[in-house]
Amino acid sequence: MKLHYDAATEEFRAELRSWLEGNQPDRETVRGEPSRSSADMPEWAREWQRRLFDAGWLVPGWPRELGGRDATPVQQLVYFEEMARVPVMRSYNPQGLTIIVPSIRDYGSDAQKERFVVPSLRAEISWCLGMSEPGAGSDLAGLQTRAQLRGDVFVVDGQKVWTSGAAHADYCFCFVRTDPQAPKHRGISVLVVDMQSPGIEVRPMPELTDPERADFNEVFFDGARVPRENLVGVLNQGWSMATGSLAHERGMLWTSQAAHLETELERLAELGRSERPDGTRFGADPVFRDAYAALYVDSQALKFLGYEGFAKFARGEASPEHSVLKLFGSEIVQRLTLLALEAQGADALDVDWAGWGMMDEREPPWAKRYLHTFSNTIAGGTSEIQRNIIAQRVLGLPRG
Amino acid sequence: MDFEISEDQRSLRDAVREVLEAECPLSVARDVVETGRPAAQPWRSALELGWTGIAIAEELGGLGLSFEELGLVVEQHGRALAPGPFLATTTWFAPLVEECGEAGQRAHVLSGVAAGSLTGTLAAGGEPGCRARPEGAAWMLDGGWRFVLDGASADEIIVAARIERGDGVGLFLVPRQGLKSEPVVSLDASRPLAHLRLDGVRVDAERVLGTPGECAAALERALDTARVALALESVGTCQRLLEITLAHAKSRIQFDRPIGSFQAVQHKCADMFLAVEKARATAYFAMMVIAEDDPRRALAAAMAKAAAGDAQRLVCKEAIQIHGGVGFTWESDVHLLVKRAKTCDLLLGGAAEQRARIAELLEL
Repeated sequence: MKLHYDAATEEFRAELRSWLEGNQPDRETVRGEPSRSSADMPEWAREWQRRLFDAGWLVPGWPRELGGRDATPVQQLVYFEEMARVPVMRSYNPQGLTIIVPSIRDYGSDAQKERFVVPSLRAEISWCLGMSEPGAGSDLAGLQTRAQLRGDVFVVDGQKVWTSGAAHADYCFCFVRTDPQAPKHRGISVLVVDMQSPGIEVRPMPELTDPERADFNEVFFDGARVPRENLVGVLNQGWSMATGSLAHERGMLWTSQAAHLETELERLAELGRSERPDGTRFGADPVFRDAYAALYVDSQALKFLGYEGFAKFARGEASPEHSVLKLFGSEIVQRLTLLALEAQGADALDVDWAGWGMMDEREPPWAKRYLHTFSNTIAGGTSEIQRNIIAQRVLGLPRG
Repeated sequence: MDFEISEDQRSLRDAVREVLEAECPLSVARDVVETGRPAAQPWRSALELGWTGIAIAEELGGLGLSFEELGLVVEQHGRALAPGPFLATTTWFAPLVEECGEAGQRAHVLSGVAAGSLTGTLAAGGEPGCRARPEGAAWMLDGGWRFVLDGASADEIIVAARIERGDGVGLFLVPRQGLKSEPVVSLDASRPLAHLRLDGVRVDAERVLGTPGECAAALERALDTARVALALESVGTCQRLLEITLAHAKSRIQFDRPIGSFQAVQHKCADMFLAVEKARATAYFAMMVIAEDDPRRALAAAMAKAAAGDAQRLVCKEAIQIHGGVGFTWESDVHLLVKRAKTCDLLLGGAAEQRARIAELLEL
């Protein structure tokens, strides 16, 4: 056990930091043309990702030709720690970079790799991930979108929902049913669907916080034609990608969650230090202090658990930490924003104002931040599903 | 940055667990509770295997390892619900002698601890407290401390006292026979507590630790170490509670199926697991902070104790609840573990008190 990294690792960190200082887009550029969804890459976002790729800072664990530098696992961890500190995201098409590209690299044909991997890494094309359906959410393997092979073309019919970025994505990495007779896990395949194909309709679903903001979409397929060569991996064996693809970078993704939590905690502390018009401080309230300290302890524990899980991940061992971290992290942020919301009293109802302690007036107010936290307790496996996973796969309790 | 215990530490932990499983089943603590007689085990094993000297220098007869190794052994003692003087002697008493004692005091006391011929504890924290006044080269102590762990049974007691000079704290090594002790009828009778009374107790110069009036910082550090040890013990005890609760949930059949197949039970178990993992990670961090003498000691100790306190609160409640009627009986081991975990939480400041301290340390 050690509390500090060795000198060589700290040198790696220093090199990355100095590169980031000279190369990251400035706040005004980011604010000037904000990304509207997880597949909407404004020109500055594409240029930023390309710069990361060219410098070997996009996926440091990968080889040079794929935007990396063959970094060791510990260096990768440091990389994620540092990337979580900068105010811009590594990619404005995160599902493309962290899930779809690794899956194509692992399962795709040479032609698919040639066509999609580097262009995606260089932010020339963007992706959405077609998984959930109206009848297949937590029970993803129950998906019903049909793809029938007719000659050299799959004809796709059905509906996806909660498809992040579908309105802006160039392609969909789409899970479809190719054998309706087989047991549900064994009749699923993955197709790369060009979102410009005829027979696809995308309907944005504005979020509960804001009618203008829509990352989620419904996607309707009505006889959409997909060339056979766009089948990824083996026909009817796509399910392994649904579980496998989500494991990419799982050992380190918590770093961004931990960093997000740290930023939110700092905002909460700022709220605590703020004075109300009557001169009293939010942070003087013992109830607020107790809750703040509890959140602080939890956020630190999340990091410690992350580091522990990382060690197993680096050795290639399975670890339950992913479910634990996902569940724990998303619920802490939810509690945190709720505390801030309630501490402000009626002032929190003015959603045209960022709120006490918020240094940047353009930040969303605490009420909206709270509502937005449900994206993390629901998406990617609800908190209830995570508890089931922990109970059954980690604690060995029998399935119901 | 490496939050994983090393291969050697893992072997030590596993070996300690095996010994304790063989030599200190839960019936040992039950026997202490039911008869009031101290148990021979696992103290005898601790002496045979050198556990009391784990963090004591080799030249004093110890193993020369760090607080990390000691902490892992403490955690396993918590899991075994071990009775006896191990916790107070190795984590409350010895570290303070190590820090404040002169060479001669250290040699005498620490070699005694390593050899198992000397047990000790620390009387500090809480009310009413003790006062010390100089009398020539000696000191006179008046007052008392309440809820002192092993206060009626330890051979030597470090008594903290307020004096009129410097930062006002002095530390005095008082033999048990030198003061009056009144045993507490403790919630956890395998974890004996006592109220101590000192009426004009004279302490000679060679039994004074450090410089009277300049020991406040050392005492705080010792109390932080003691808190982390309580947190580690509590983590072990909660781990055991989780284990026996899972075993019950898997074997108890109702409606033709194990009750552990019901989601309502599964989710409680998942939350218990999460709480224990969180507490363990936080306690391990504090263990490292102490071993490396990192400046975040006070914060780390408060966090560890707060997280352990939170964990025991949830784990104790759900363990009794999931055991159903059985969990309400004296015959079940659940209450033995629950009482230990509650004791770990409430000694030296419970979770809420630690959180108040955290808010202060973070300058909220």
